[in-house]
Amino acid sequence: MKFKITFLYLFVLVLIAVTGVINACKTPEAITAKSGAQLWGENCNRCHNAPDPVTYNDDQWDVVAEHMRQKALLTNTEIAKVRDFLKSANKQ
Amino acid sequence: MLFCFFNSKAQIQDTSAHTVGTKKFFMPGAAVAMFQMNSTKGSPTTITFMPVNIALFPLVKASDRLFFDGGINFNVNTDGTVEPQLIELIAYYRINEWMSVFAGNFSPHYGVYLGLLDDFTNRFGVGVPPVGMGHGLQNQNGLGIQGGFQAGYSKFSYQLYVANGPSLVVDSTVVGGNNESGTLNYGNIIDNNKNKAIGWHIGYLPFSNSSFEVNFSGEYAPKTGDAGTPFENVSNLTWAAGLNYYHVFSPVMVRVIAEYDKIQVGNANYFNPDTSVKNHIYTFTNQQNGWFAGATLRASGSKKQFIKNLELGGRLSEYTPPAGALWGTTPIKQTTMTLTEYLKWDIPLSLEYDILTQSGSPTQNILSAIIFFRF
Repeated sequence: MKFKITFLYLFVLVLIAVTGVINACKTPEAITAKSGAQLWGENCNRCHNAPDPVTYNDDQWDVVAEHMRQKALLTNTEIAKVRDFLKSANKQ
Repeated sequence: MLFCFFNSKAQIQDTSAHTVGTKKFFMPGAAVAMFQMNSTKGSPTTITFMPVNIALFPLVKASDRLFFDGGINFNVNTDGTVEPQLIELIAYYRINEWMSVFAGNFSPHYGVYLGLLDDFTNRFGVGVPPVGMGHGLQNQNGLGIQGGFQAGYSKFSYQLYVANGPSLVVDSTVVGGNNESGTLNYGNIIDNNKNKAIGWHIGYLPFSNSSFEVNFSGEYAPKTGDAGTPFENVSNLTWAAGLNYYHVFSPVMVRVIAEYDKIQVGNANYFNPDTSVKNHIYTFTNQQNGWFAGATLRASGSKKQFIKNLELGGRLSEYTPPAGALWGTTPIKQTTMTLTEYLKWDIPLSLEYDILTQSGSPTQNILSAIIFFRF
C-alpha cells in the first residue's frame, strides 16, 4: 500500500514536472506570429547576406528553399513562410 | 525534449505548398578566381593568378517532400587538366515539421562550416584556409535523419547518421614525411570492414531571432582498419564544438565565429621503412587538434552603399599535429586579416592577408585577392 501511495505521489510529481516543461516549451505567439520577411532576415543572415527576392523566379525559389531547408536545418513552418515571402516579393 | 517536439508539432500547421507531382529542376553555380602573392624568408616571392574554379549544383524538387541535392566541382590541376570532383549527392525525404531522412554522399554537419557554410559564406577569405580547420570529417556515404525544431523561444537543430566512416591509412613503403600511416581516408566508396561509423550534430540557438548558435558535432568509428588486419580494431573519435553569433549594434554589425576540433585515433604499431632508423616498429599518440576564432565588423547602418557593403575581418587559428607521427610537424599558427566588399549580396570581393608561423620553418606572408560569384 505504501508503495502504491509513493508511486502515486511520484506519478503526480512527474506529471506536474512534465506539464511545466510542456508549458515552458510551448511555442510562444511571438514565434508563431513571425512573418516570412522577418524569418528571411533572421535565418539567412546567420550565414550569408539575405538574398534579394528578385534574384530568382517562383519556381527557382521553390527549389532553393528546399536546398536551404536541409542546409540550415530549418523547420517546415520557417522555410514555408520564407519561401512564400520571397515568391510574393519578387514581382516587379 | 520529446514533449517539446510533440508540443511544437501540435501547434504548427503544415503550411507548405501542395505541389505533389510537380518536378522542378534548377542548377545554380559558383566560381572562384584568385590572385596570390607568397613571401617566405629565404625563398623567392611568388606571384600567381590561380585558375578559376567552377562548381555546379543540380537541384531537383521531385515532389513536395522528395528532394535531390547534388554538387560537382571542376578543379583545374597545376598541369592545366580539369578534374571533376563530387561535392555531394543526396536524396532527402521530408517526414514532418521537424525531420527529414537522407541518404547518399553527404558533407556531415560538423563544426560551423562543414555541411552548411562554404567559400561563399567564409567571411575571412578562402586564400589560405584556417590551419585549425579541415582536419576533421569529410564526405560520407550513408543515411540519417536531420532537422530543426522549436522549443519555446529557443531552437534546436540536429543530424544523426550511419556511414561507412573513414579507413585507416597504413603505409609501410614510403620513407619520410610523406608516409601517412595513422591518418584517415574518407574517400573510399566501399567500406573496408563490416563496422559502421555513427555521426551526430546538435545545434542550440537560445535566442528567438536565431542570431546565436552553439553546436557540438562528431563521429565515432569503432573500427577503421582493413578487415582481417591487426589494424581493424583501431577506433576513431572526431568531434568539434562551434559557435556562430551576429548582432547589429547600430550602425555596426558584429559577427563572431569560432570552432575547436579534435581527432582521436586509437594507438597502433606501424612500420617505418627508413633504413637509417634502428627500430622500424613505432607507435605514437595519434591525437591532433585545431581551433580558429574570428570576428568581423560591418557598418551595415551606413547610408553609403559602398561602406555598407564593406566588412573587416580578423581571425586567429592554430593546428597541433600528433607528435611522433612520420607526417606530423610542429604546431602551426595563423593570423588572418580580411577586407571584403560585397559587390552584390552573393558576390564578395576579398583582400586577405595571412601570416603563418611554425617552429623550425620561416614565417610565410601571403596576400590574396579573391572574387567569388554565384550564377
